[in-house]
Amino acid sequence: MVLLESEQFLTELTRLFQKCRTSGSVFITLKKYDGRTRSIPKKGSVEGFEPSDNKCLLRATDGKKKISTVVSSKEVNKFQMAYSNLLRANMDGLKKRDKKNKNKKAKTAQ
Amino acid sequence: MPQYQTWEEFSRAAEKLYLADPMKARVVLKYRHANGNLCIKVTDDLVCLVYRTDQAQDVKKIEKFHSQLMRLMVAKESRNVTMETD
Repeated sequence: MVLLESEQFLTELTRLFQKCRTSGSVFITLKKYDGRTRSIPKKGSVEGFEPSDNKCLLRATDGKKKISTVVSSKEVNKFQMAYSNLLRANMDGLKKRDKKNKNKKAKTAQ
Repeated sequence: MPQYQTWEEFSRAAEKLYLADPMKARVVLKYRHANGNLCIKVTDDLVCLVYRTDQAQDVKKIEKFHSQLMRLMVAKESRNVTMETD
């Protein structure tokens, strides 16, 4: 599992999408992250560990290659814009609902 | 494992599930360009909510929802962040 900086993660994610255009899936996982680097011990005391509240973990894979990044509140604005654009640009293989859209437009116009 | 047919119901249930226990819940997105479909799953390892689609109009909704959840996760507890689904 490769842990990358946000920018590098976005570049690699773009590459994953491009690789999987003809076949294969892209899996993206998002989870709240409290900054722990060690597992919780079953017995014994938890070492002085400050759970931070402002981070999330983003993982991506195509089934073979794995990448991940941690996003904190400081980077979230910039990252989110780039990330949204990336998703929208790459997830473009879906069907466009032309007939139903025309119906909706007619309804909303009235 | 409830599969939702409408985006509205899914996003409401998913937001509720996340807010119930933010540390436990995770969001998974699966995109297949070859088949032209997208699937979003929100689970806390007990309950699992799934929404599948092959419609381009859902991409924007899913991507917005994904970003909203990201913001929720990154926001500090002191602030009461509410999502604008209503």
